[in-house]
Amino acid sequence: MKKTLIFAGLASLLATTAMAQEIGATISRFDDNWLTVMRNGMTEHADSLDGVSLQMEDATDDLAKQIDQVKNFVASGVDAIIVNIVDTSAGAAITEAAGGTPLVFVNREPDNVNDLPPTQAFVASNEIESGTLSAFQICNNLRADGKAGGARGYLMNGQLSNQAAVQRSKDVHDVIGMDMCNFMTIIDEQTANWSRDEAQDLMTNWMSSGEPFDFVLANNDEMAIGAIQAMKAAGMDMASVQVGGVDASQDALLTMQSGDYDVTVFQDAFGQGAGSVDTALALVKGMAVDQKVYIPFVLVTPANMGDFLSKN
Amino acid sequence: MTDTSHGVGGLTFDKTKRSWPNEMNIFFALLIIVIIFEILGQILPYMNGQSFLFDTRGRFDTIFNEARLQIIILQVAIIGIIALGVTQVIITAGIDLSSGPLVAATAMIAMSFAQTELVNGNPNPKAIFGLWAMDLPVIVPVVVGLLFGAMIGAINGTFVAYFRIPPFIATLGMFLICRGIALWWSAGRPVSFPTESYKFIGSGMMPVVWFLSLAVIFHIILRYTVYGKHTYAIGSNEEAARMSGINVRRHKVMVYMIASMLAAFAGVVLSAKASTAQAGMGEFYELFAIAMAVIGGISLTGGRGSIIGTVLGAMVLGVIRSGFTFVKLDGSYQLMAMGGIIIAAVILDQYRQRNRA
Repeated sequence: MKKTLIFAGLASLLATTAMAQEIGATISRFDDNWLTVMRNGMTEHADSLDGVSLQMEDATDDLAKQIDQVKNFVASGVDAIIVNIVDTSAGAAITEAAGGTPLVFVNREPDNVNDLPPTQAFVASNEIESGTLSAFQICNNLRADGKAGGARGYLMNGQLSNQAAVQRSKDVHDVIGMDMCNFMTIIDEQTANWSRDEAQDLMTNWMSSGEPFDFVLANNDEMAIGAIQAMKAAGMDMASVQVGGVDASQDALLTMQSGDYDVTVFQDAFGQGAGSVDTALALVKGMAVDQKVYIPFVLVTPANMGDFLSKN
Repeated sequence: MTDTSHGVGGLTFDKTKRSWPNEMNIFFALLIIVIIFEILGQILPYMNGQSFLFDTRGRFDTIFNEARLQIIILQVAIIGIIALGVTQVIITAGIDLSSGPLVAATAMIAMSFAQTELVNGNPNPKAIFGLWAMDLPVIVPVVVGLLFGAMIGAINGTFVAYFRIPPFIATLGMFLICRGIALWWSAGRPVSFPTESYKFIGSGMMPVVWFLSLAVIFHIILRYTVYGKHTYAIGSNEEAARMSGINVRRHKVMVYMIASMLAAFAGVVLSAKASTAQAGMGEFYELFAIAMAVIGGISLTGGRGSIIGTVLGAMVLGVIRSGFTFVKLDGSYQLMAMGGIIIAAVILDQYRQRNRA
């Protein structure tokens, strides 16, 4: 990380004297909340550097379109390309499309991350941490609540076609598989497509069965907030149920501040966005760069949420 | 399938030939689906004999599981509001594909005028405008939303009626434009933290109250007013309607405007319910709204369909969604089942029309 920062400093110094650097970026979805924060991180950071211009494209979750966007960037002669890949199993195709133009994968880990050419790099957080941190903290909280004799709950999945959703749900099952947390059982798991309003309806449907439950784990904050809104609408006491999510969005932190939300995980969207720009500029300068730059996840609970209120 | 209604100016003629109203069939289908889930609750080993619609745990005063009855209709109420408008558009032999993205765009725009200045004592982190737009009376965002809807509807209607662009194409274009507006409005950022009075629009069972009141209003309008008669007449035979002195173009613009205003209102209710507006909201809403009308027995070639049918169509989708969650089957199966039911509904309807003729 430190190394990247130094490079960034150098890069920005050089950029002021050298010709303008053009960076082309393609993001898998413009309407995703978290990716939007990351995108803004890229834009603001690029704006703060002299002589760096950033062109942003929306891949609308379409891999073929994204590959074409990369080729278009190459054809128009940009200095570097940043890719938030639509499909993590298509790394090789993106790598090839970029040819000799420096390229940075951001946020999503391409499958060829270990065979990247020297002109390419990867900046992200390690997805395995997120779901695990959240579920494990819920497990601890349930124990602290004296429910180690058995706790039942629900799991809300993100879009079933999304790698992060699949990974985060797998993390939850892995945590529940541990001796320490195997008192937890999942009554049912369903997708709410990352969305708050779908999560409200799903949670209300679950509650209509009248089955008692102790926790709700969601793949992201939006679904966790939807679940909380539904539980509050049904008059549930939020102290009696543990709710965990991932993202530490501002909506989530303010919900946590009102005492309804228990656990989330901070993924540094802004940091990943800015880091990808810095790494791209370092590659343009031909500097030696760490090919895998990991920005860690941080567990967020009411105890430390104050540190994150002004981030994501 | 349309031969009975073509050239006869709408529903009235059909009525005499009917053994019972078409809506009864949908109602029976609804009952059958409920009974299937009731039986599955009894026979599936992991369900422990739970009931789908009845209260087996003594939680409610009545014999019904009121919580489930509520969510069945609550989860389709917002798309149902859109479906009320789409029904009218389809009766004129048109189609409106722009309603889903319009929900998102309206949610973003209306919510920007409904934000609070302070959240738990912190300044609103999602503020779109300055302090002047904070804590405005609830009427402001609602009117802004409806005006935006009216504008989009007027454009749709003008392209369809005056420029003779096929409705599918005109509203497909508007579909993309509205999704673009939703994304552009706040550069993809969600718009959150509305005032309490705005939240009230979507709180509790309010979406259902809106849906059913609007359904009653538009049922009466379509059945008993000149507007309704003209709408059916245009769909049955546009040329005949023109000959008989109906201002077809102006009427079509009005129908598209009403449909878009209903979709815009759905966007207001949705954002109030979720207390947030996001550019990705309302995905597939246009298709589910059309599906409700189709299950409700509407004819895509125009001239035939009713608000009661569409409300029942909405109920069918609500029962299926709750039913699949009840038997703990995942969303992927729900989509397959809904697809099957939509096709089955049309096949049954065509069969019935042919037999009658």
